[in-house]
Amino acid sequence: MSAGNGKRPERTYWRSLEQLQSDPAPVAVLEREFPEGASEAPPELLRDGVSRRSVLAMLGGTASLAGLTGCDIIRRPVEHIVPYVDAPEGMVPGVPLAYATTMPFGSRALGLLVESHEGRPTKVEGNELHPFSEGASSVWAQASMLDLYDPDRSKSVRFGDEASSWDDFVAAWTEGDLGPAADGTGFAILAEPSSSPTLVRLREALLDRYPQARWVSWEPVSEENADRGTTLAAGEHVHALYHVDRAQVLLTLDSDFLSTEGDSVRNLRGYSRARRVNEQGGGSPLRHYAVDGVHSVTAANADHRLRVQSGRVAAFLARLGGSLAGHGLELPLDAGAPAGDIDDAWVDALAQDLVAHRGAGLIVAGNRQPAAVHAAVYALNSALGNAGSTVTYHRTPDSGTSSDGDLAALSAAIHEGAVDRLLVLGANPAYSAPADLDFSAALESLGSAGAVIHVGAYRDETSRFARWHVPLAHYLEGWGDARATDGTASVVQPLIEPLYGAKSLIEVLALAALGESRDGRDLVRETWSGILGLPLEENADEAAVAGTAPEAEPEADAAVDGDGEEAAAEEAVPVDPMSLPFPVALSEFEVAWRRVLHDGLLDGSAAPAAELPAIGAEDGAAAVRAAGDAAQAIAASDDLEVVFRCSPAVHDGRFANNGWLQELPDAMTKLTWDNAALISPATAGALGLENEDLVTVASGGRELELPVWQVPGQADNTVTLDLGYGRDFPGRIASAANAEGRAPGRNAYLLRTSKTPDLARGTLSPTGGAYPLAQTQDHHSMEGRPIVREADLDHVEAHPDFATAHSEKPHENSMWDEWTYKDSPQWGMTIDLNACVGCNACMIACQSENNVPIVGKEQVMEGREMHWLRIDRYFSDEGESRGMLRDLVHDLPSEPQTSFQPVPCMQCENAPCEQVCPVAATVHDSEGLNAMVYNRCIGTRYCSNNCPYKVRRFNYFNFTKDTPEVMKLGKNPDVTIRSRGVMEKCTYCVQRISRAKVDAKEDGRGLADGDIVTACQQACPAEAIRFGDITDAASGVSQAKASPRNYNLLDDLHTKPRTTYLAKIRHPNREITPAPPPAEDHSGGEDAH
Amino acid sequence: MRRLPEAAVLATVLLLLGCRGMPSPFPPIHPNPNMDYQERYDPQEASAFFYDGMAMRQPVAGTVARGQLDVDHRLLFGRDDAGYFLETSPIAVTADVLARGENRYAIYCQPCHDERGTGQGILFERASTPTASLHDERITAYNDGRMYDVITNGVGLMAGYRYPLTVEDRWAVVAYVRELQQERRTMQAERAARQ
Repeated sequence: MSAGNGKRPERTYWRSLEQLQSDPAPVAVLEREFPEGASEAPPELLRDGVSRRSVLAMLGGTASLAGLTGCDIIRRPVEHIVPYVDAPEGMVPGVPLAYATTMPFGSRALGLLVESHEGRPTKVEGNELHPFSEGASSVWAQASMLDLYDPDRSKSVRFGDEASSWDDFVAAWTEGDLGPAADGTGFAILAEPSSSPTLVRLREALLDRYPQARWVSWEPVSEENADRGTTLAAGEHVHALYHVDRAQVLLTLDSDFLSTEGDSVRNLRGYSRARRVNEQGGGSPLRHYAVDGVHSVTAANADHRLRVQSGRVAAFLARLGGSLAGHGLELPLDAGAPAGDIDDAWVDALAQDLVAHRGAGLIVAGNRQPAAVHAAVYALNSALGNAGSTVTYHRTPDSGTSSDGDLAALSAAIHEGAVDRLLVLGANPAYSAPADLDFSAALESLGSAGAVIHVGAYRDETSRFARWHVPLAHYLEGWGDARATDGTASVVQPLIEPLYGAKSLIEVLALAALGESRDGRDLVRETWSGILGLPLEENADEAAVAGTAPEAEPEADAAVDGDGEEAAAEEAVPVDPMSLPFPVALSEFEVAWRRVLHDGLLDGSAAPAAELPAIGAEDGAAAVRAAGDAAQAIAASDDLEVVFRCSPAVHDGRFANNGWLQELPDAMTKLTWDNAALISPATAGALGLENEDLVTVASGGRELELPVWQVPGQADNTVTLDLGYGRDFPGRIASAANAEGRAPGRNAYLLRTSKTPDLARGTLSPTGGAYPLAQTQDHHSMEGRPIVREADLDHVEAHPDFATAHSEKPHENSMWDEWTYKDSPQWGMTIDLNACVGCNACMIACQSENNVPIVGKEQVMEGREMHWLRIDRYFSDEGESRGMLRDLVHDLPSEPQTSFQPVPCMQCENAPCEQVCPVAATVHDSEGLNAMVYNRCIGTRYCSNNCPYKVRRFNYFNFTKDTPEVMKLGKNPDVTIRSRGVMEKCTYCVQRISRAKVDAKEDGRGLADGDIVTACQQACPAEAIRFGDITDAASGVSQAKASPRNYNLLDDLHTKPRTTYLAKIRHPNREITPAPPPAEDHSGGEDAH
Repeated sequence: MRRLPEAAVLATVLLLLGCRGMPSPFPPIHPNPNMDYQERYDPQEASAFFYDGMAMRQPVAGTVARGQLDVDHRLLFGRDDAGYFLETSPIAVTADVLARGENRYAIYCQPCHDERGTGQGILFERASTPTASLHDERITAYNDGRMYDVITNGVGLMAGYRYPLTVEDRWAVVAYVRELQQERRTMQAERAARQ
């Protein structure tokens, strides 16, 4: 499925992020880094095809010339040692500090603990004290650090095309004519929803000051439907908080609440806890039913999945309501007319399960579903008794929700001329506003009058229309605050001064609301004085807060007081410093404030669950019926349902310039660098389409051309489009022309209208061309090998040793002497496949921690992606639905069972890679690690050849040559940055092991379980990875390895891996999936034996 | 003359060997840099990105790192609520604390103040640094908070030792100095009693 079209690019093409960053000046061949060899062959060479001979000829010729151009190239660079002149107290260079902060994401907050090396943030982790992360983090939290060091960020205030300054902007606003009219007529502010108390306070101040001003809160991918539905049903504005760990039955309706929607980290944690089985593999884990049309991470992990079009989910809900009533729920509903696409037996079994687990069930609807569905879900949860146990509702201070209607009204107002000053705070409507609003034209008309002020991190599509542009500070470099869904308040504290003089949102808003330029910290402190209920003393010991106490001046000055003559007559009496008071006690506010900053949240600020009145039977039934009416029927064969999905990689487009996320393989499709029109195999077959065929998706009179991709598990007659691609701003990643001459992806916002922001109707027609896509895993079958081992719960209870029962036993004799491990510690890891859902947080965490480069689309197509940890995804057919895996090697199943398996280095005791390295660059250390010695490696790649797990990655090019200075700031100084020709692989985060050992030695103690946490382990919200000392029987990893579910990957090869897996347990409903006949011995493994 | 080629080779080699070790304004030739200079910032590296040329940054004013809550002013400054120096140390003086104090004293204080606290350490001997004796009346009259403040911020020619010594370490040194002073008083009392 790779390109293989033989055409090489005409223009200069780039291979890696770092190469791309270098100045686009033509580089003469002679100025390249010779005589070490060509790091990249010049484009002319590649046009004719690269051959070793031609490259070597090139080398031979130029190497001899290199000697003539000057030996400066190969001299040791001059390095300066630049220590602190004024060393900060408490910071030892080389020892990182951790700062608790918060990532505000939409109207939610994720508590973080960010590691900082010498005053620069280098790694994001979750805050173990914050209830919404508990130490884990999401893909976006991990990747957001790269955005801080993005060389394409807006670097200065701009007035028109010229660089300006903040002071000039302030002057223009306060004294010039940039400020709005006195009462705010014609003044409009467009901002994204935010839960920041300071922002709310300033917004109110602004609206007080300018009563006629219009504040529009809008974001392209929002929770508006959920908010409206819940508000409608509950009667007041409350936020739903899910407690998945208390649930035994979970029904998700077109929801991806485990990875892209809502409080995914917290939900995933609860989900994995609910799915835990006991030590023998039994117990009562959560049973998950999914009803949706888009095969998301959440849907893939369900025990039972009903594949219906997203628009039909509402009809399903109506039928479910009737079925629940039939099973005893007190709602006056009947099932209604049967629908062809909804399996009634399935609905019946689900209803029975939900009713049997009243109070321990949970129904979750996704953000794409209309408000009526959310209201109906609220009613059903309430009727089932789930409200108050698995889902609670919280009244949190109103932060403003997104409203598409308000944006439409704003657009209309601009077109009418009612707006003459538009302040865009962080939003990007020129790119992501609904297409039918034609917001660009509105901005154009305003912009030509000089009336648009854009505050944003990039000079993006919207800033083009702005007369003034102010760079927006990243959350890691500016002050702010946020509230989580349940109201837990926390402060965003910066880890570094703004790199480019950027201003935070609240600072810009303060200028508008208060008329003066204020420091972000002061603004937040004022707000928190209110939140904490403690007065903010103005002379609150700035010195004390800064940690220095001025010296008491002993003598001299004290004697000069009083009349000069009298003082001169007397002798100067030295004043005893011990008698001079200097107040250093912190005020109550300071103590509380420092506690909030230190911990990362305000304890006790969570709003308790609101006691909402139970929804009456009639009202509940009405809500369910209303949902049914909202169902759309798209039955016609040439009309497809078009689903707009927030991309699991770049979200709504805000991360489009983030190289890590662009190269992150999508959980389901394993596509990188592009979005595609996702369709089901059956639809592809019906339309005669193959993967990578270019098609035109037409909807509402608009068209978009993009390649097609088949996704097993997608509903038929549906095409899913990921938003966030096809950006048009000078970001080197977001708009980098690849070999096909196109920037990553296509802009699906062009099809999205305000009437149909989530689900639309459209057609798909092939254009006859093809577009190569880069995929990291191009097959889905396990080829008959027991790679992912799963079993149904009842099977496990009968056969506890299912995970190892059908392994091929390796011959025990090895050609080499085997290692004997007598000493502690011996490192090992287990990955619980029952917990892993494939969210990809560990991949980005590993990339961040270990300075793993990105390679670009062409190299990914060659299979040269550099991720040390990959997540394999396997599809198999439910087939006769015994809950076990049956391989279908060639066909893509329509109703797949999906399995995810993270694969790091196995750190084999009998490592095949060590046995073949000619220079002993990969060796075994005494603690069981397979150590990679980068500077010994000469690049034969024999180790990768011999690795059966294919976990080794080779640096085919020098991916970090020409790294921009700013990107170097974010590299982890504890990890080598590998050069060209060097093999690399997962090291069990050996730098963390070393640091823990050093810390333990300094403190004079031994290592305890939990002292060392690998990056992937720390990031995983599902707690799937355990790492530790396997010689310590009490450690978490030892207990996991003692489980009967534990198995080795490819154990017939006798590699004796230290990384082992815990088999996955599925919990099917035997009403839907009958148990297999007990006579044959069906193991949980493969049936190929 | 038959041996001319060998002689010429030998002569050339000897000549070239003589060229080694000559001073040069340029850094040495390093033909195989490998990964010796990496695209990351180690501590104390220079950076072209920041105005001051440093890759190390100051923590942002007003931020609080984990483990640096620092709200106890008695411990941090040695002053009480009203701002006067504390009479006695706020930490409990145990054998561990005294041992730590002795350890840190030997590293940081001994060069000037001598191991007996008489102010005649090596810097006094060699560089005539006018170090005070810790048994001086003035200093024995210090209360613990004042002594802590001197250690933290310095006094006169003495620099502050807030950077190498953590807060706990400074109080440990205070405790150890008190012990030194007590030992001296005891010794003098015994001497006086014997006479």
